[in-house]
Amino acid sequence: METAENFPIPKKLAPYPLVFMRFRPAWAYIDGIREFGRFFCQTTFGTQELADRACVVLQETLENAVKYSSNSADSELELSIESDGSNIEFSVSSLPDASHLSSLREELNGIQTLDPEQAYLAAFIRASNEPESSARLGLARIRYEGGVELSMKEETGGRIRITATGKL
Amino acid sequence: MSQFSTVQVPKTETIAIQVTAPNQVKLAGTITQKDPANDLAGFFKALHTAALADKLAEVRADVSGLTFVNSSAIRLFVDWATWVKNERGHRYTLRFVTSRNVTWQKTSFMALMSLAKEVLALEHVT
Repeated sequence: METAENFPIPKKLAPYPLVFMRFRPAWAYIDGIREFGRFFCQTTFGTQELADRACVVLQETLENAVKYSSNSADSELELSIESDGSNIEFSVSSLPDASHLSSLREELNGIQTLDPEQAYLAAFIRASNEPESSARLGLARIRYEGGVELSMKEETGGRIRITATGKL
Repeated sequence: MSQFSTVQVPKTETIAIQVTAPNQVKLAGTITQKDPANDLAGFFKALHTAALADKLAEVRADVSGLTFVNSSAIRLFVDWATWVKNERGHRYTLRFVTSRNVTWQKTSFMALMSLAKEVLALEHVT
């Protein structure tokens, strides 16, 4: 497969922006953006493994962002993919319902007390024990299957930014 | 007559589903709907109920052709494994046939195995 090797990522500009998208928080866009992310990572970095990891990160972060976005006019999502040549960073900014913020913060803090595999197993056990609750596997899956660490930043105007950073 | 093979298959846009007597269900495609339980939870429950009624020793769920799923879909496999695990009477082995080449299957079914290893089996194909 042809890769983007003729256009190397400049290491002096770290992290180097590679992709930026802004779009309405619609479920219908997620499949297309995930598959673009797969194609982009495969083409830019030439590894299937990274392309698969990108799919998980994009699917689950965008699902969360779309599910919990407020209905206001300025609730568009922003997705960026950056790299410094050693690491890759996926970042999704959204404007969630205020009611979602505390549960998201709690969920993120909870999974980060365990290593990624243990946190994913713990999420499976919780799902098994709470059949009537929502899955809540997504964030743990991003860390384990996506091979990234997650962070959340609260920004002005009620927006939040979820960033997933991992090795290339 | 096998109840398993007469379970009604849901019609979905992105998943091809095939039920074959006496004990096999095959899923291929992608599952990324907002709430895949709407299409699949009742179907998996019906397969589970039929497997018990048929007193099957094993159900073979071939998911090797599922190239990508979201975590809500993974939850459905957790639920199915939990139903079998919690069954007090006759229970069957739920054998997932997975692909070595599909990343989500490697990570998620290994995690599922540690949840219910007494009732699950994994078979890998390329």
